[in-house]
Amino acid sequence: MRIGWKQRSRVTSWVLGTLTVIFLAYQWLPIFTLGLLSFAGPTGGTTFPMNGTSFHWYEEVWKATVMNDFKPPLLRSSLLALACSLTTIVLATMAAQAMRGQFRGSGWFFYLMLLGIMAPGILVGFGFAIMMRILGVGLSWDTTTFMVQVSWTLPFGFLTMLAVFNRFDKKVEEAALTLGASRITTFRRITLPLVLPGVIGAGLFGFSLSYDEYPRSMFTTGPDATLPLAIMAQLDRQLTPEIYAVGTTTTLFSLIAVTLCTFGLWAMRRSTAVRRT
Amino acid sequence: MSTIRVRSAASYWLAVPAAAWMLGVVVVPIMLLIWVSLWGGRAFSTASPLTFDNYAKFFANHTYIKLAFTTVGHTATLMAVTGVLGYCIAYFLTMKVRSPLWRLALFLAFIVPFWTSTLIRAIAWVPFLGVNGVINQALMFIGATNAPIEAFLYSKTGITLAQVSLYTMMAAGPVVYMLSSIAPALREAAMTLKAPPLVVFWRIVFPLTLPGVVIGQVLVFLNVMSDFATVATIGGNKHALLPNLVLLFYESSQIRAASVVAVLLMICMLIGVVIALRVVDIRRLGADR
Repeated sequence: MRIGWKQRSRVTSWVLGTLTVIFLAYQWLPIFTLGLLSFAGPTGGTTFPMNGTSFHWYEEVWKATVMNDFKPPLLRSSLLALACSLTTIVLATMAAQAMRGQFRGSGWFFYLMLLGIMAPGILVGFGFAIMMRILGVGLSWDTTTFMVQVSWTLPFGFLTMLAVFNRFDKKVEEAALTLGASRITTFRRITLPLVLPGVIGAGLFGFSLSYDEYPRSMFTTGPDATLPLAIMAQLDRQLTPEIYAVGTTTTLFSLIAVTLCTFGLWAMRRSTAVRRT
Repeated sequence: MSTIRVRSAASYWLAVPAAAWMLGVVVVPIMLLIWVSLWGGRAFSTASPLTFDNYAKFFANHTYIKLAFTTVGHTATLMAVTGVLGYCIAYFLTMKVRSPLWRLALFLAFIVPFWTSTLIRAIAWVPFLGVNGVINQALMFIGATNAPIEAFLYSKTGITLAQVSLYTMMAAGPVVYMLSSIAPALREAAMTLKAPPLVVFWRIVFPLTLPGVVIGQVLVFLNVMSDFATVATIGGNKHALLPNLVLLFYESSQIRAASVVAVLLMICMLIGVVIALRVVDIRRLGADR
């Protein structure tokens, strides 16, 4: 007897649904385990059993000595991410606005930006380090790493801004221009406020990408490491729950940043919606 | 009419800073790598004579050749696994989940780990894979094995397990995008014409999502080919793929050998991307909407 298509569709749903739930668990369990194990007691190892619960490993991170002090790298990574995010916002908005002007060679320009996403970090980082060596420029987290990381965050910001400009209602701009406003005034007073959520999204994206970036930083950072580099160096020396504590902290940090910004965007959309009526 | 005149000088100048940045930081350094890989002699100097000796040295070593094939094979495995898994998840999320609230919740559950560090997520696999790790304890608890399996941490299996969890969403994301842009009327029309569900999927839905599948595969391909961090974290020093070799040579100051491997890696990737672009036109992706 053949089963009906409705029933077959239900069976497919169940199979795919189960697969999805299993994958979700697969994706989240390691993160939860990391968080759980970071609260292990002082004698706790790097896996179960936990040997009691304590804040020992967090204290350890906080009181850390010179070798495994994660506070300066954290500060560096945050400052770097902020700088990358701001640079990305400005350059990506300019570039996306330029694309609307369909200048000569804009097709090539688009591919150039895509190349920034496609080119693997290890090649870009290594190549840039070689170039700096040929030019005789010293490596440092706030100069060379900054330049390399912007080449990673900028294309994502650019694509975000392209999508934003594609969706936004051009009639509003036209109305302002028809009423005699100059192009610059229209952009500043009409266009920019309307696409601001997208701009903030691009900046947030840039912040997160730069904050977590490892391969590009690895070749181009001088003696002062950023956070991912410090974590990797500590992992090479010795694996203790201390790394789990650092990992849990930065993961929470990222999650809080995302939540705050999502909430901010949502609140802003609401407020602009109210103003419109 | 818009805030920028079509083909104006202003639009050109607005693009210059971004273009200069990308040229200077991405294109020129990668071109430099090709040049450095051809340097002869020993000193780090721009006056080095150009030869193919470095390449000859690389291809003379069977270990390296094997490593290159291992890398490609490993990447192909990951593309297959993440491709199938990603498509199933994307199909379930867009076609089967009806309630918008549930869909949003599931999307968030998938996307949120993306905002955290890949490095931390790779490290998070370490307590899972060890001899006393979670997987082994679970297997022993349900009685699947008596003794712990040592094959997880510091092994290819462990690396694959972790990378699947890291990269499946890259394969699924573009498919979600393409699936949600298929008009329901198309499927309804096919159903009305009495096409069985499998035929509807195979002849209508799948071809329409093919660009998404290919883009996802390209993303996974590029990321796995160049992912040395996960391999180093989980594989320890026992396993290496091509990108780890770049690092290894770099750390031992063999700049030429590192450049050779980097260039070969780049060629592999270019071939992959070119094949993908023959299948789909990337520019059509944005224009469809």
